[in-house]
Amino acid sequence: MKKIPLVLSVNGEEYDIYIPPNRTLLEVLREELELTGTKEGCGEGVCGSCTVLCDGFPIRSCLTLAAEVQGTEITTVEGLKNEDGQLDLVQQSFIDRGAVQCGFCTPGMLMSAKAFLNRNPSPSEDDVRKGLSGNICRCTGYTKIVEAIMEVAKKK
Amino acid sequence: MKKAHTLIGERVPRVDSLAKVTGEVRFSGDLIFPRMLVGMVKRSPLAHARILHVDTSRAEKLKGVKAVVAGKDTAGVKWGVFGYTQDMELLPRDKIRYFGEEIAAVAAVDEDTAMEALNLITLDLEELPAVYDPFESMASEGPPIHEGYPNNINIHVHIDVGDIEKGFRDSHLVREDTFTADEDSYFQGEPYAAVARFDDAGNLEMWMPNAGPHMKAKPLANLLQMPLHKVRLRKIAIGGAFGGRSEISPADYICALLARKSGRPVKIVYTREENSVNIRMGHALVTTIKTGVDSKGRVLARDITCYMDGGAYSSTGPIATSVPFLCMEQAYRMDNVRYNGYRIFTNKPVRGMIRMHGRSFACGVDLQLDMLGKELGIDPVTMRLVNARRAGDFTPTGSHVASCALTECIEKAAEKAGWKEKYGNLPAWRGIGIGVNSVQTGFPLGIRGGSQAFIKFNEDGGVTLISGVVDNGQGNDNMLVQVVAEELGLEVSDVTLITADTEVTPNDPGSYSMVSTFAGGNAARLAAVDARNKLFEIAAKAMEANPDDLVLENKKIFVAGSSDKFLSLQKVVRMGLIQGHPVSGEGHYAPKVDQRREWVKNPKGQLSEAFSFGATIAEVEVDPETGMVKTLEVTAAQDVGRAINPMVLEGQFEGSIAMGGQGGMLTEYHFWDKGRCLNPTQLEYKVPLAADMPKINNIIVESLDPAGPYGAKEAAMSIAMSAAQAYASAIADAIGTTIKDFPMTPDKILAAIESKKEKG
Repeated sequence: MKKIPLVLSVNGEEYDIYIPPNRTLLEVLREELELTGTKEGCGEGVCGSCTVLCDGFPIRSCLTLAAEVQGTEITTVEGLKNEDGQLDLVQQSFIDRGAVQCGFCTPGMLMSAKAFLNRNPSPSEDDVRKGLSGNICRCTGYTKIVEAIMEVAKKK
Repeated sequence: MKKAHTLIGERVPRVDSLAKVTGEVRFSGDLIFPRMLVGMVKRSPLAHARILHVDTSRAEKLKGVKAVVAGKDTAGVKWGVFGYTQDMELLPRDKIRYFGEEIAAVAAVDEDTAMEALNLITLDLEELPAVYDPFESMASEGPPIHEGYPNNINIHVHIDVGDIEKGFRDSHLVREDTFTADEDSYFQGEPYAAVARFDDAGNLEMWMPNAGPHMKAKPLANLLQMPLHKVRLRKIAIGGAFGGRSEISPADYICALLARKSGRPVKIVYTREENSVNIRMGHALVTTIKTGVDSKGRVLARDITCYMDGGAYSSTGPIATSVPFLCMEQAYRMDNVRYNGYRIFTNKPVRGMIRMHGRSFACGVDLQLDMLGKELGIDPVTMRLVNARRAGDFTPTGSHVASCALTECIEKAAEKAGWKEKYGNLPAWRGIGIGVNSVQTGFPLGIRGGSQAFIKFNEDGGVTLISGVVDNGQGNDNMLVQVVAEELGLEVSDVTLITADTEVTPNDPGSYSMVSTFAGGNAARLAAVDARNKLFEIAAKAMEANPDDLVLENKKIFVAGSSDKFLSLQKVVRMGLIQGHPVSGEGHYAPKVDQRREWVKNPKGQLSEAFSFGATIAEVEVDPETGMVKTLEVTAAQDVGRAINPMVLEGQFEGSIAMGGQGGMLTEYHFWDKGRCLNPTQLEYKVPLAADMPKINNIIVESLDPAGPYGAKEAAMSIAMSAAQAYASAIADAIGTTIKDFPMTPDKILAAIESKKEKG
């Protein structure tokens, strides 16, 4: 397949690349940019492991063509730290509350949580549970993930 | 001198979590090497067929294809967990036994080329009659799935203890019921991926999700006809196992073959569908249970016959056929008991062990206790209590139970859940139910030994632990660090880990069947004790003290009772180096079991050195219009022996309730068109979401096992299983009738309500 030129802005950095036009954002992030923090769990937009932020909104990078997001700002888990290199509150809370087990769903979960808290800074527990319903975790039963997010909301 | 524990029992954040929240951590599929190729597998379009010819010539000629392999490229060695179950060629030469089985594979420069190459491979297959159901399979007069197994019976486990006929004669009440369950699946977060590369000296390096690198390296070496020391499985993050990462996978072998043939690194990443169908899945079960009780509800006799759909190969067959029975014989006292377990070959994907393996078995035993209790006027909690296993007992097959706080688990769970107030008093369509289970903690399976660990003291006073224990996501790395830091009076950050790398780390039985804390944790603790003893010898000489009087705390070595007289840990380590006695430690631990015990031929004797026990209570509300179940609250209590890290334990409890109860009993099952699995994807196989999960109460009960490290046994397997039983029992209470076919999907619940109405 003939490659096309593409300019992607990811975590504040600009990338000039050539890719086949059928490449998904997930494939380009992982294979071209070697940002492997974003995971593929199902490849059909169900599990949420590939969630990244596109201009602050959570999207499934496995169902998004890379060419579609030219001109937007993409944030992946690698871009979550603050400018001074400190962990984001959500990242720290996941560590402190034991919300991480195998860690495969964690990047997607963090990105969804981040976007959710931006939208709804003082949610109820029910809101958080509904807000996370696009992200599957097989290890935790979600309790500690929900607690970690509620903790961040309280701090804010 | 003994000091109080400072780190054991603390809610220490897991040491692996930082790399997991930043995206830094690498899973197998994340690895990138120069000149790495994409590997893909050609799969069988038939469920049962003879392979007449596989033509790979056109694929080989395609530009960008660097290697193609098929059965002809293998040494024909078969894989099996035991010598007597070696029946699986990981790239078959002669015969296909299930739809989707591996036939050939390619390695190419990119995914598109690899896919194109797969389409150029042509198969000449002779289709054979296939069987998709264990009963149909036993009755089949067609060609057997494997030679040498009459009626396609793969395994028959027979256990007969006491005098069940007399037990039934003496019984006040006897019931017989049949319980069934469909196949269930792991759906680990991480789909399977394997990466392989050879160096010029012929050493193989591999990365893949594994529940025991040492237990995978051995069969890989056999299959590849290589010396074991040349097969090097490397440490890598693993995205969940739940029983599905213990055996070698065809992907491992095929990836290594492609890397060898192409001379380049190869990565195979399975699709979600392949992860479901081509690794392992849970068995479907049909279990008939006959139980006799006296007027107090005490079980006098039990006779269980279970048929398991084993799929196309033996896998862990002898173990899988035994464990559901063993869990129940551990959980409940039963003097007179007979068990006949049959694992049957069918032309379906291979079945292995899964977290709630045997859900129809365990749920059947518990539901029957409920039904018998109802006839006797005894409530479910009392039925459990009168039959509960106690410390000091022997199980029917002869295992001594050294520690057991099951009664306490049941009582504490019942109190927390408000059982007395709720049972029998809940509004219409609400119900409460209890489940009880027990699992083995560290059994060697007859195929593996214990765990060994080394400690190296670094010049700054910190240590490096070298252990074969692998972390599948449950927190084993953190467990090891906490144990070593505890023993050596260090901070968690002073302990560095080198684990799960077969070139470097000593042998370990693998992180399955609940053995890691018990064996691996004990080995790490003993290595730390060994290193500490050496530190004390050096310090004692310098301090002119008796080594037995020394204490190691806060990186200082004291004479007990005189805190002003001490040497810093760092100084003692340096003294050792200068004096020619560098400080290191070695520890090993193998669970003490009866090595004569064998799953099929001799199922008696000490099976496991310790056993964990759990009781879970679930409260549910059923919508009689839709059949949907809302879980209101779950209370889980487990005798874990000792909580090394309560926060990690709670996470295991909560995950167990999600998989065993919420998913396992309400939504999770596979459905089929003959041998073809129709819901291998994440979209069609329904696992619980955050919004589905109820409020959870965790109760940690500590029985302090005499052999476990600090008394620890295992984390939450008996919750996963008892949660399934609790959900089944609660739904029966809510709708006033017992469903015996699992999972309890809305259609089954509506049918049960309807049928109850008709019967009046």
